[in-house]
Amino acid sequence: MAGASAMVLLLSSCAFAENTGVAGGDPNKLTFWLSGDTAQGGGFAKMAAEYTKETGVEVEVVDIPYDDLVTKMRNAAMAGELPALARVPGIDPIWSGALMDLGGVAKDHHIKKDLLAANEKGVVNALPTDLTAVGLFVNKSLFKKAHVDYPRDSGGWTWDQFVAAVKKVQKRTDAKYGMVMDASSHRLRSFMYQFGGNGFREGKDGEFKGDADSVKALKRFKELNDGSFSPKSVWLSNDDPNAMFKSGRVVAYYSGVWQIADFAKNIKNFDWDSALMPHQPVRTTNLGTNYLVGFDGPAAKKSERFVNWLYSKKNYRKLCETSGFLPVEDGVQVRYAARQRDFDLYNRIIDEAGPLGPAQIKDSLRQAYAGHVTEGDPLHDETVKYLGGSQSLDATVGAIEKQLNEQLGDG
Amino acid sequence: MKLQESQEIREARDIREGAEPRRQAAARSVLPTLALWILALLFAFPVLWFVLSAFKPGSELFSTPLSILPEHWTVQGFVDAWNRIDFSRYFGNTLVVATLSTALTVVASAGTGYALAKYPARWLKVFFVCVLATTMLPTEVILTPSFTVIRNLGLYNTLTGVIVPSIMTATGIFMFRQFFLTVPDELLEAARIDGAGEARIFLTIMMPLARPIAITLAIFSFQWRWNDYIWPLIVLGDPKQFTLQVALRGLVGAENIDWPTLLAASVISIVPLLVMFLVFQRYVMSADLDAGLKD
Repeated sequence: MAGASAMVLLLSSCAFAENTGVAGGDPNKLTFWLSGDTAQGGGFAKMAAEYTKETGVEVEVVDIPYDDLVTKMRNAAMAGELPALARVPGIDPIWSGALMDLGGVAKDHHIKKDLLAANEKGVVNALPTDLTAVGLFVNKSLFKKAHVDYPRDSGGWTWDQFVAAVKKVQKRTDAKYGMVMDASSHRLRSFMYQFGGNGFREGKDGEFKGDADSVKALKRFKELNDGSFSPKSVWLSNDDPNAMFKSGRVVAYYSGVWQIADFAKNIKNFDWDSALMPHQPVRTTNLGTNYLVGFDGPAAKKSERFVNWLYSKKNYRKLCETSGFLPVEDGVQVRYAARQRDFDLYNRIIDEAGPLGPAQIKDSLRQAYAGHVTEGDPLHDETVKYLGGSQSLDATVGAIEKQLNEQLGDG
Repeated sequence: MKLQESQEIREARDIREGAEPRRQAAARSVLPTLALWILALLFAFPVLWFVLSAFKPGSELFSTPLSILPEHWTVQGFVDAWNRIDFSRYFGNTLVVATLSTALTVVASAGTGYALAKYPARWLKVFFVCVLATTMLPTEVILTPSFTVIRNLGLYNTLTGVIVPSIMTATGIFMFRQFFLTVPDELLEAARIDGAGEARIFLTIMMPLARPIAITLAIFSFQWRWNDYIWPLIVLGDPKQFTLQVALRGLVGAENIDWPTLLAASVISIVPLLVMFLVFQRYVMSADLDAGLKD
């Protein structure tokens, strides 16, 4: 159904592209839509208040439920009621035509080049606001109890060594499961990268293809989801891996940096730690980000001034410190309120991630600029069928390739 | 002698007939009562767990073994929720939306249902089928066209924009139509003979008769509108206009959920409905009873 409405919206997007624009409203007020700010420490709201104090220009931050931000933006675009600014998880062809040029800001403030992508006219419309990275959390207490070590600041382990170590911990303690991984294609891609695969990326010939290493990783992933090392319920029936890890009976959790703040506050019954992720043989991660976009209209100049102010080194650092963000600007030293060591580890992982780290971010930006969107998430959805046993490995790979080529290919 | 005997027999029979049935009745009611209690407890258990969980610190929510009672009682979740969400504003908005749309729904449904039941015109029957057909379409499907209409009417970002599209419901019309069909036409004719106008017949004779249906629909409608989420989210752009459900949903982040705050906020959000239930308990109970009856 969501797919159907997306289609309808897509079909009508051409008609709406002309109408999109920002709300007339109060010219002295910039409306800024985003999601999850209050949950992440309210950094944007705080910076907006400071900006108002400094300049007298009011920036109204509106926190919108994450799952429905896309729907809301689409409808606002149709109503010609887009906000002045928004922080979004991705660019939508429905309103991408109404975006303002932020290339100047990107250049002035040394935003990591890997994270920027220009549209077909060579204009940078979207600035990353913060970085996330896939990472590994371990139940330190369980490892200690089992007298097993894990690499943290140096060394490393392959996936084989990791699985062996975790199984040892499982055997020597009352841990119920070895590892849980978020049911997300973003995490699965990172897993494939670590096996040397490219996670079903578009090849030079414009074809989406699962390379041998990605397929091997997918097979391995099913072997890990055997109901004893990893619970099947997380991928098959949306069991909450975060809650499972917090129960203290799971040895390791393959998730990402955004969990640190939650764990620091809400885990008290055992010690946890961030560890180096396994490599087999590639040591990398998969980055994620949100984008700041501004919309053309009478408020565009004012919006640009605010964005420029926000990305200046001093203010951007303050934003990162309040919200616990990993910075997207080179040379910004952030002091976090808690668990600085964990954040330092993530910053190191990002620096060492190589070209695959930001690959997914850049790919999806490019696809969005080209007007391509996926219906659902082929990599995730087909993997679930494979894990559930209703589809063979070959059929799964074929289905993922077919859907990606149909939806994102140039043909 | 014979008389005495018969008296004894009679006495014995009296005792048997008086005491036995009472004992039997008690025995017979034990099982159903027990079953009902178990059922009630099963229903109450998740709610109880939910309310008690709101008093747990975040670190206890997922720790094993799970416990029903919080080990360390805390109201921090409530404090955070209260500070983060402007409850009085969102309660106010939700109350305005729920009350107004409920009142209008009842009036509109009663009128339409009455017309469809009591005025014999062929096109009305076709119209009724069309009304019923709208129940086949889930809200999500007509979201975009409805939104376009609201936008063109200039109702975007207003509470009126939330209220207007929810007034007409096929369910409400259907409920009233089915009820008015059971009201004998003779009543109508008698009133007409006595010289009552159509409006008067509807307002002073038919509406009082349909009171149970009106109350049932009002209760349902109020619940629907109180819990409405996707439509208010789409229509409202200004956070000052948000309804409670939209504001609450904002606590669910992209990758994380702030459970302690969300639990506490949810507990707070059900309080007004609970109060409403306690005040109108009598009507709610009888409305649910009436809902199962044909007349």
